Amino acid sequence: MRKAMTSRGILFLVLSLILLAALIFAVDMACDETEELAPSEIREYEGEELSSINSFRENSIKGPQEIDVESYTLRITGLVTNSTSYTYDEVLNRHQHYKKVVTLDCVEGWSVTILWEGVLVRDLLAEAGPLANAEVVIFHAFDGYTTSLPIDYIMDNDILMAYKMNDVTLPPERGFPFQLVAESKWGYKWIKWITEIELSDDANYRGYWESRGYSNSADLDKSFFGD
Amino acid sequence: MVNQRLMKGTIHWLLTVLVIIYLLTGFGITEYRIVEPLTFGLLTKSLAQKIHISLEIPFIILLILHIWLLPLLKYFKSKKLGNK
Repeated sequence: MRKAMTSRGILFLVLSLILLAALIFAVDMACDETEELAPSEIREYEGEELSSINSFRENSIKGPQEIDVESYTLRITGLVTNSTSYTYDEVLNRHQHYKKVVTLDCVEGWSVTILWEGVLVRDLLAEAGPLANAEVVIFHAFDGYTTSLPIDYIMDNDILMAYKMNDVTLPPERGFPFQLVAESKWGYKWIKWITEIELSDDANYRGYWESRGYSNSADLDKSFFGD
Repeated sequence: MVNQRLMKGTIHWLLTVLVIIYLLTGFGITEYRIVEPLTFGLLTKSLAQKIHISLEIPFIILLILHIWLLPLLKYFKSKKLGNK
């Protein structure tokens, strides 16, 4: 009798958890269903199959941000000779555009392969003139999120600050106006809604997730926990 | 016989607890904006992920034991009796 009750209790607990999981999934799906993103995205580029821009999981710290392009400015600050500020159009019109297919790998286990189009962060930094003691590039987002990367990584690689994905302007939920394409780094380095790029000599700087236990180097070929 | 029952019960309960923790930490990763405040900041995303990852192997082992322990014991018992 007691055994039967215990089994029933376990069954009830397990079923309740499954029900809870189904409920959260259903609410999540219902929220996602109403979003209709731009229909003109491309799904293949030079023979390479691309993921959809709807394939991302929304996991930002405060949800999608709506940025008014008219009042938007991108600031380059910190250890530079000329602190500069650009409007959205100035970023796009004054700099060379580049395209490349890069895969974003999230620590949650999913990944997306997207054709990114944007400007090189290196070009923006070159205009501001980094000082010799600048070691780290700290990116700030509209929602308060931050992350950092070594200046050598930015200068030695073609790191894009993307304004388009799969030939479509970034929608707000994907980081409009700009998302960093931090290739060969885990997804939490791919900061969205960039508002400021700060150069610093603080090699120990830790961004939002990095200060919460994730690796600061975030190399894809290493664990995302640790240094 | 008692040992067999005890073993079965232990595996059963361990697996139940593990499944619950597995689910909770799974939510802690994907729904961290809800889970973190609900647990008063105790179950952070990184902690949930560390626990979730470390439970993968124990989960598989317990699941295999849960499914195969009794049939295996029965098989060995019948084989032993057959030999006699």
